[in-house]
Amino acid sequence: MNPWGPFVVFLVLGAAWTAVWGWATARSSGPSGSFDAVYAAGGILRRRLFYIIVAVLVVVFLVSIRYFPYRSLAEARLGVPTVHVTVTGKMWQWTLSQEEIPSGTPVEFEVTSIDVNHGFGIYGPSGHIVAQVQAMPGYTNRLVVRFAQPGQYLVRCLEFCGIPHIGMAAAFDVK
Amino acid sequence: MASQLLTGKNGPSLRVALVHLYAGFVLFLLMGLLGLAMRLSHAQMLPLSPALYDEFFTLHGSGMIAAILLGAMGGIIAVLSSRTQLDVRLLWIGFVLYILGVGYIPIAVLLGGFAAGWTILYPLPVMYQAGWTPWSTFAFLLGYLFVALGFGVWCAAVLLALARLHGGVTRALAWPFVFSGGRVHNPQPLPYLQDIAAAVISLYGIFTVLVGAVYLIPLFGQNLSLSGTVNSLFMKNFVFLFGHNVVNLTIYLGAALVYATLPVYAGRPWKTSWLSAFGVNVLFVTLFFPYFHHLYQDFANTVPLHILGELGSYGTGIPALLVTVMGGLLLVYRAGLRWAVPSILILIGFWGWVFGGLGALVDGTIPVNQVYHNTMWVPAHFHTYYLLGAVAFVWAFLYHLAADLSGRRESRLSRAAAWLYGIGGAGFVLMFFIAGAAGMPRRYAVPVPGTGEEILSTIASVFVAVLGLALAWLTYDLLAQLKPAWQRTRERAVHS
Repeated sequence: MNPWGPFVVFLVLGAAWTAVWGWATARSSGPSGSFDAVYAAGGILRRRLFYIIVAVLVVVFLVSIRYFPYRSLAEARLGVPTVHVTVTGKMWQWTLSQEEIPSGTPVEFEVTSIDVNHGFGIYGPSGHIVAQVQAMPGYTNRLVVRFAQPGQYLVRCLEFCGIPHIGMAAAFDVK
Repeated sequence: MASQLLTGKNGPSLRVALVHLYAGFVLFLLMGLLGLAMRLSHAQMLPLSPALYDEFFTLHGSGMIAAILLGAMGGIIAVLSSRTQLDVRLLWIGFVLYILGVGYIPIAVLLGGFAAGWTILYPLPVMYQAGWTPWSTFAFLLGYLFVALGFGVWCAAVLLALARLHGGVTRALAWPFVFSGGRVHNPQPLPYLQDIAAAVISLYGIFTVLVGAVYLIPLFGQNLSLSGTVNSLFMKNFVFLFGHNVVNLTIYLGAALVYATLPVYAGRPWKTSWLSAFGVNVLFVTLFFPYFHHLYQDFANTVPLHILGELGSYGTGIPALLVTVMGGLLLVYRAGLRWAVPSILILIGFWGWVFGGLGALVDGTIPVNQVYHNTMWVPAHFHTYYLLGAVAFVWAFLYHLAADLSGRRESRLSRAAAWLYGIGGAGFVLMFFIAGAAGMPRRYAVPVPGTGEEILSTIASVFVAVLGLALAWLTYDLLAQLKPAWQRTRERAVHS
């Protein structure tokens, strides 16, 4: 997912809310009206808004399920992984079992940690985050990704893991 | 000038309230300076070593949450004290415990170098090769323990007072009214919405203290070499349930203060309807489930819990929007609202709560969280509904109380400062949102190339300076109001 997509959605919703808020705020200092009438109209509006919001959120939720990153759902969308890369986080370095990954192929990253929590964050050649998963001691989290764009991908730790955290990085090539 | 909050009998309670509120405000200002230092550091205008940066964000996060919660606790004391008697001795005990806890935090961080972040994600606090000492971890944990105990004592004092006022805790929660579908008006009159909210928060607060204990005990055990390692996923669930609850309880305490304050400026009552009473009680559910969204990227936490997190994140915003924000806007609509610092800050708070909530909603959607988790989007949305939501609500009440007790009139400049608070805050958080979408990690001591963090932090620093200017003016007002307000609480005469 391109991270700027949700940002635009957020800005549009935020602007709409700001307009509503500004409209109501601008009318708050006006001549005093009947509160009972306002309250009654507000009650009707509130009920309608409730149904609209619930309906919209149910649709968003149902659509979002298809794009869940969890293994079975990701495999259904991207295909069964044929490449498996083991990833181990350790204060303060990443160890990847391979540093060359084929493009257009579903890849499974098997991510774990041997000490503290780390965040396995993959940055694409354009500098955006492509996907991420937590590296937790005692657990292996399986992240399925299919890289469409060839190039060098950077791995940064996205979970604070001590003062040298900022230097915990690695790279792999997608060819 | 007659005070609305002073009854002639509640002077001791109001003094406890003032101490909570002013202490919280001072702590907030100090922590704000650390926040500014971090922005300046990312703007390359203030050199901070990674170790110092990490200490600053640890102190800033824990200190800010402690500050606003403390202020909000003080606000509720003041609100309740005009209608019921609170156990002042118990409140002072809670305050001393709380401040003791707050005191341990800077010792751990600035002297011991503790920098595991306010979320103290296990097992990092006990991994001393990360850059701190065992005793600093102990001091930090002790700080959390005492803050939690202080808050727990406050919850008990508030519950006792509410039970006395309404004839029982379930009546304070308006359960006979809520569960009868609004047919049984028991107790009579119905509790104010702020009372119902305070009761819900106090009960949930006690639950939160217990959750904190479940997390802290194994950490203490390992820190003192009394026990071995524990399951990381279990600990992560508990620490996020604890932290999530503390932050959200603070926000809803702020909302409770709004129910008590805004009607004074709108000249209209905030009615306890069945919907509003139900909406506040539903917090018992809506506060809990969203916490799973903190663990979306822990795939081991099972898919049903992730789904609960997404649905919970969506659901939690509905009562906040329809009961508090919409209720507040209806209250002021064509009300001939009296424009004053508190009413301006509350209206800014409505904007920020929803605007930040939208950011949370976006991030609460699992596929989006794949690219936003642990980026600056996270501080972006919670700074928005905290700084421009809960914090605005709490300081609105502080200003309202100080003005009410002191009788001092605010100037036009004070009202301008309140608006500047909103403008400075909005510009500041917007830079966070952009940095988050650009992939800038949170809790990162240096800007990541290609994210624009340097320029965004430079712009953010300018907006923080505007915010600082506004706060400086409001601080001047609050200091001028403090002495007469304090003296007023010593008067014995009953005021109307």
